[in-house]
Amino acid sequence: MSIAARTLIALLLVAPQAVAQDARLSARLDKPTLIAVNAIVDSARVAKLPTAPLVDKALEGAAKGSDGQKIVVAVRQLSMQMGSSKRVLGSSATPDEIKAAATALAAGVSERDLARLRSASGKRPVTMPLAVLTDLIVREVPVATATSLVIQLARSGVKDPELALFQRNVRADIDRGADPSVAATTRARGLVLRSNGSGNKPSE
Amino acid sequence: MRDEAEQDIEQIARELRVPVAVGRSLDARIMQAVRRLPRHARFGLWSRLVTPRTVTVTPLVWGMLAATVAGFAVLGAMHASADFHRAAKPIASALFPKPKAAASSQRVQFVLVAPDAKKVAVVGDFNGWDASHAAYQAQQRGGGVWSVTAPVPLGHHRYSFVVDDSVWVADPTAPRVTDYDYGMPNSAIVVQEQK
Repeated sequence: MSIAARTLIALLLVAPQAVAQDARLSARLDKPTLIAVNAIVDSARVAKLPTAPLVDKALEGAAKGSDGQKIVVAVRQLSMQMGSSKRVLGSSATPDEIKAAATALAAGVSERDLARLRSASGKRPVTMPLAVLTDLIVREVPVATATSLVIQLARSGVKDPELALFQRNVRADIDRGADPSVAATTRARGLVLRSNGSGNKPSE
Repeated sequence: MRDEAEQDIEQIARELRVPVAVGRSLDARIMQAVRRLPRHARFGLWSRLVTPRTVTVTPLVWGMLAATVAGFAVLGAMHASADFHRAAKPIASALFPKPKAAASSQRVQFVLVAPDAKKVAVVGDFNGWDASHAAYQAQQRGGGVWSVTAPVPLGHHRYSFVVDDSVWVADPTAPRVTDYDYGMPNSAIVVQEQK
C-alpha cells in the first residue's frame, strides 16, 4: 500500500474524532483559543495521550468564564503533566490513571514518588490511591507525609473501598479540628494494622 | 416326393447322431481365445457396476444399515442447525442490535447543603461542564439539602457544584483536586464497576 493511501486511511480514521472535538469545543471557545487548544489536543493524540481530559479542561475553563489565554495555559500544563505521568507509569497505564497521576503531579507529588506508588501497588490500578493522595495534600497534609502514607497503604494491599473510607475519615477528623498530618498518620496506621490482621498481602 | 424328403431328413438325423470326436486341446484353445479378448469387455469396473446382480441381505443387516443411515442423518441435521445459527448470529445482531449494557456508568448521588441557594447544578468531566445539563440539576429536599442522582461513567472525574449559576463550590464530602488553573477548586470522584 502506498504512503498516500495509508495517509488517506489515517486521515479518514482520525477525521470523525477531530470533527466531533471541534464541534464540542467550538461552541464554547473563541476562535484563537479553539485553534490553540486543538493544536495541543492533536499533539497529545500523536503522543498517544488521552485527549478527553484536555477537552474537559478547556470546557471547564469556558464554563468558569476564564479568558482564552488561561485556558490554553491550563490545557498545555495538563498535557505536559499527562506526558510525564505516562512516562512514569508506563505504556500500560489507563487514561484514568494518567489523568489522576497528572493531578497528583500538579499537587506536588514527585515523579519518583509516583513511580514508587506504581511499584507498591503491583498490578492494581493506582487511580484511587492517587485521588486519595491528592486529597490529603490539598487538605494540607505535607506532601512527603501524604506520599509515604499512601505508598505504605498500597504496599499493605489496602483495597480501593478501604482507601475511600480512609479519605472520608481523615477529612472528618480535619473538619473537627484535628491536625491534618496527625489525622492522616493515625488513620493510616489503624488501616494498616487492620489490613495486615485481615490477611491482605503486601504487593511487593 | 414326400418319401424322398423323409429319407433326406432321416439321413441328416443319422449324420447328426454320430458323435463328433473333439480333440483334447480344444478347451485350452478356447480359453486362450477368451483371454485374448480385451479386458474391459469382461472384468471392467463399469461392466461390474452396470451388470445386474442379485444380492441377498438378512433382515438384521438391513436393520443395522437403516440405523446407521438414520444416525448420520440426525448428526448432519444437528451440524447444519449449528452452522445456520452461527452464521445467522452476526446478521441478527447487526439487524437487531441489543441496547448497550449500562455497566459503563454508575448512578451517583451528589448532595450539597446550601440553605440559601435558589438553584444547584453539578458540572464536571462527565457532562462537559455544562451547568444547564438537565440530568444534573439538583432538587431541594428540604432543610437546605440539595441532591441529584445521575449516571456517571466509570473512571476518574473532576466536578463541582454551581450554586445560583455563579458560585462554584467543591463537594465537601469528596476528595479534592488541585485545580487552581481557573481559581476555583474542584472535587474528584472515582467511579468503579460494582462487583
